[in-house]
Amino acid sequence: MAGIWIFAEKTEQALELLQAGQLLLAAGMGGELIAVTWPGGPRPEDLGAAGAAEVLLLPPLADHQPLESYGPSILEEARKVQPNLLLFSSTARGKDLASRIAEGLNAGLCSGCNALHWNSESGTLEMERLLYGGAAVQRIAPFTFPVLATVPPGTFRRGTGNPDREATIRHLPAPPVSPVSVLEHKPKERKGQDVMAAKIVVCAGRGFEKPEDLAFARNLADTLGGALACTRPLSEEMHWLPEDLCIGLSGIQVKPDLYIGIGVSGQVQHLTGIRGAKIVCAINRDEQAPIFAAADLGIVGDLYAVLPRLLQALNETAAP
Amino acid sequence: MPVLVACFKWVVDEAYIRRTSAGELDLSSVSYKISDYDRNALEEAARMKEASGGSVLAVTVGVPESTKGVKDALSRGADQAFFIADPSFGMLGASETAAILAEVIRTRIGNFDLVLCGEGSSDLYNQQVGIRLAERLGIPCLSFVQKLELEEGRVVAERRLEDGIERVSAPLPAVVTVLPDINIPRIPGVKDTLSASRKPVVTIGKDDLAVAPDAHFRTISLAASRLDRQCERFGADETDIRRFIGALRQKGVLR
Ligand SMILES: Cc1cc2nc3c(=O)[nH]c(=O)nc-3n(C[C@H](O)[C@H](O)[C@H](O)COP(=O)(O)OP(=O)(O)OC[C@H]3O[C@@H](n4cnc5c(N)ncnc54)[C@H](O)[C@@H]3O)c2cc1C
Ligand SMILES: Nc1ncnc2c1ncn2[C@@H]1O[C@H](COP(=O)(O)O)[C@@H](O)[C@H]1O
Repeated sequence: MAGIWIFAEKTEQALELLQAGQLLLAAGMGGELIAVTWPGGPRPEDLGAAGAAEVLLLPPLADHQPLESYGPSILEEARKVQPNLLLFSSTARGKDLASRIAEGLNAGLCSGCNALHWNSESGTLEMERLLYGGAAVQRIAPFTFPVLATVPPGTFRRGTGNPDREATIRHLPAPPVSPVSVLEHKPKERKGQDVMAAKIVVCAGRGFEKPEDLAFARNLADTLGGALACTRPLSEEMHWLPEDLCIGLSGIQVKPDLYIGIGVSGQVQHLTGIRGAKIVCAINRDEQAPIFAAADLGIVGDLYAVLPRLLQALNETAAP
Repeated sequence: MPVLVACFKWVVDEAYIRRTSAGELDLSSVSYKISDYDRNALEEAARMKEASGGSVLAVTVGVPESTKGVKDALSRGADQAFFIADPSFGMLGASETAAILAEVIRTRIGNFDLVLCGEGSSDLYNQQVGIRLAERLGIPCLSFVQKLELEEGRVVAERRLEDGIERVSAPLPAVVTVLPDINIPRIPGVKDTLSASRKPVVTIGKDDLAVAPDAHFRTISLAASRLDRQCERFGADETDIRRFIGALRQKGVLR
């Protein structure tokens, strides 16, 4: 048994995957936990402290090479070592790399995996994912190993780690030059609070007519001490808000105490991202909107009338 | 003149999926559609052709009942369709679909410049087929693309990644997977629908294929998701809004 490999772009994602891997090993899956990283990726010492027994360190990439160029190096090593499971954090690059490596290994890849369970009696790895935008939950098991999974960030708890633990480091060879070259990287400005950590999330949907009107939603979020988020059309079609505020299947999954969706219709792909919310509220002028069936409390009304009243009432009745 | 291949899938419209009282999936009243982001792939191919000439070939793998989808794709600007059909092609895994697409693209189309896929299919959302297909064909893949151009034997694209936008370039032939904001797909008119029925469709059966890919996974269970919410309704007047705030305080989620 050759263990579990993990690959993530960010340290916090790597820690999550290492924790998930540790649970599987503890359940009897067997083998060691191995992390793959590169200069600029999660640091070997952090990976070791979080439980990686070995770190496979890739050499720096040549100039203008995208991160996916590492594919052939990781694939070569995986062919030799034949790990049972390769876990990737499901960022865009992670999903791309995982698909390439899965194809190279002729292996299955469970995309958007949100639960992993080692059934020691039958020796099967049970993996869970969503189908139909989240309308269905499918449990699958691979016929053969190795198998791969991409895991949405925030799916598993992070481990605590032990700074005294150290991983052995093994260097992987440089990949061949990729035909794809990076012409330019325009970094995104990071701003705003972390929606994933917020206790209260106010989510704006396409019910807002103009970008300026989002001030109402932002106001509500500020009044409640919460964070502003949005549906996919707002971030991706209108570009009114950054994509990392998009909640749902292709965005982030949130687990706040309170979620308030405003002008959000409640299509299944969006609802998928708020499954873990304690209380779901909706404000929508269409009483037939699907979000009402998925909400604990719903206000049927025009958001342009409801929000000013709601803000006023909140300010008047605010706890001293 | 570029030969553009657009891969699309004919899928269940998830908005009509219900849950039976036993928690099973109820697909009895569903309708079908071209997978959402595949409409963007078809649209982008059609626009490239309109801008620089060439041809658009639409390719799909599905059950024989997907003929409506083939016609729909042809009404969105494709010149010809390749319809790989078999009753067993309803729930193929990503690697199986990619293997079949790769064979058909290699053997039936051969000289192509760019393959366009959606970022992910609406039903499975594996986000794998385009990337696996490129690996199979041994050509570069640019995934998660929001902007696309062809230049002198190369494709230049803007990929949207978590930490920003990456502008990349790759030699043709190549595969791209497109994000929904790359364009706004057209709504076919009557004329488009009429001309679609005169366009050629190459139908390919399972027996015509050399590959017979195996599934990588078995399904242990498939159930409808649960939504246990209280569904309490309020009006929009001031009294109701105060009641609403009261209810939130009572639940302990508001101070
Ligand atoms: C593969 C796939 C993945 C996807 N992933 C995601 C995802 O991660 N996240 C996501 O959000 N979506 C996702 N989508 C898109 C999703 O299907 C819906 O299209 C989207 O969630 C709808 O956004 P919306 O509710 O803002 O807009 P709409 O569906 O247009 O709804 C707007 C709502 O506002 C209401 N409204 C309008 N005016 C007012 C007013 N004045 N006052 C009150 N209410 C008003 C309307 O009644 C309507 O219900 C995905 C789709 C696919 C196919
Ligand atoms: N059965 C199919 N026939 C043709 N193209 C497909 C099929 N399945 C997936 N694709 C293409 O691959 C993309 C990604 O699909 P998936 O990996 O299932 O999310 C889709 O957006 C389509 O462009």
